[in-house]
Amino acid sequence: MNTASWLVRREFWENRAIWLIPAVFGALLILASLFGGYQVLGAGDLATVRTVVQAGALDGMVLIGLAFFTVMLIYSTWYLLDCLYTDRKDRSILFWKSMPISDTATVLSKLGIALVVIPLVYFVLADVSTLVMAFVISVRARSYIGSTLWSGESWLQIQGLWLYAIVTAAIWYLPVSGWLLIVSAWAKRAVILWSILPPLAVVVAERVFLGTHHLWGMVESRMAGYLGHAMRYTPGAENWITTAVGHDEIVTPVSLWRFLNPAGFFSSADTWIGAAVGAALIACAIQLRMRRAEI
Amino acid sequence: MPALIEARDLTKKYGAHVALDRANFSVEPGRIVGLIGPNGAGKTTALRAILGLTAYQGQLQVLGREPLRERTALMHDACFIADVAVLPSWLRVDHAIDFVAGVHPRFRRDRAAALLAKTQVTGRRRMRELSKGMKTQVHLALTMAIDAKLLVLDEPTLGLDILARSAFYDALVNDYMDETRTILITTHQVEEVENLLTDVLFIDKGRIVLDASLDEIAGRFAAVAVAADQLDAARAEKPFYERRMLGKVVLYFEQPDLAKLAGFGEVHTPSVADLFVAKLSGGAA
Repeated sequence: MNTASWLVRREFWENRAIWLIPAVFGALLILASLFGGYQVLGAGDLATVRTVVQAGALDGMVLIGLAFFTVMLIYSTWYLLDCLYTDRKDRSILFWKSMPISDTATVLSKLGIALVVIPLVYFVLADVSTLVMAFVISVRARSYIGSTLWSGESWLQIQGLWLYAIVTAAIWYLPVSGWLLIVSAWAKRAVILWSILPPLAVVVAERVFLGTHHLWGMVESRMAGYLGHAMRYTPGAENWITTAVGHDEIVTPVSLWRFLNPAGFFSSADTWIGAAVGAALIACAIQLRMRRAEI
Repeated sequence: MPALIEARDLTKKYGAHVALDRANFSVEPGRIVGLIGPNGAGKTTALRAILGLTAYQGQLQVLGREPLRERTALMHDACFIADVAVLPSWLRVDHAIDFVAGVHPRFRRDRAAALLAKTQVTGRRRMRELSKGMKTQVHLALTMAIDAKLLVLDEPTLGLDILARSAFYDALVNDYMDETRTILITTHQVEEVENLLTDVLFIDKGRIVLDASLDEIAGRFAAVAVAADQLDAARAEKPFYERRMLGKVVLYFEQPDLAKLAGFGEVHTPSVADLFVAKLSGGAA
């Protein structure tokens, strides 16, 4: 357990981008809220402004969360590709391997950073930025919006959405993470190309020689299937609030909880088949890490 | 006492290239062993196998363990410096100490601090800011502060200037070595380590060509500088190598009849460096 905490600390020493990127991103948002001009759709009397802000606040928070989450997915992908490669490239693997730390612990620590630590850092910094922004906007526009931005219920829903997305995305994309770790532990150069070209070659080969595209279907349903499995779209009118503002309408969900589909996600065979494939790929990555020293 | 390292038919192939070809050797506790060979002879491969960094064929036991499968346990009792240039550039000196102290149960922080206090290195510097000599001092301090039974050094002074080299070996012999420890060191610069070794392993083309202690070498090998007129008579004693030097010819003998050799000139024990040249260029067969 103690070793695990040192392995995590070591990643923070090496990869300051883990917190620098979301911190800078959050700081930019806060700066925008400090110096940007506000324009409220169809603004008219005070009551209308408050209605618009109240209706749009949850949408705004979801959008900010989505932006953080997207940056996080890109960074985590890059991190997984890089994490077992750089120390082989600069030969510092020879130092790390002189420590009594198993290759299993090393690989799992990197996976844990990518799937748990990095998402939590983004989550916390997204929260902090949103809070500061809400505070700044509330102060700057106090005469118009009062405390309409401070909704405990919306806040709670955003927290739930984040944690749910972190857990389900980690499980759903485990085969992708496993594959990235294999490339990272194995490639002698050009990790990005190696992560894309072999799967592409196999898919094309299947197409050319067998005329089928089962593999492509599998890759596509994994890459694009996350929302379909973890979330649920609820078009029914009872799930949406429509706020009329002049000639416009603002549509907001009644509750984010209704979009989450944990029962469907955790009972889907696709989820657990993917997790099993992911575990097998991670086991391969550990074996490769054991047998490959410097490049 | 069982051998600390025991290799039987140790073999490693990279495709068609055979880096280790059924090498047999053992290392006893308390020795300083030099694994000596020309570039590409298989030194580094042998060390990688011993340290559990690479897969191999044949049998290999280090401290009673199988290195590849049991590297984690092995690293409790063994430590190594594969190349002093390998500390990651982003690592801070104080963090490096914290990390090793955190993960290595046999690391003695006070000893590392004492070793570093003798140098110019300060805690908050990153490795990329240090000169190669300073980086060596840090790595050495980290490694020598571990109470290990086996220390393995692979070309530890490559790229260092002569002062740093001499400081390195002084620290190794004076501050580190005692009867509980064993050091295995590879180098292709034999002269540099000659005086500190107790044993040598000569390796060539993946095979061990000589496995002897320095005491054994004194009894087993002799060299004589012979004048031209006595050359034929001396050659009758079957030297395994000869070398021209300043108008004389130095003949190298294994298991010689010393009384006979004395008649040809002054008999001396060849230096490890000379023996290495003689063994590898002459009749290793």
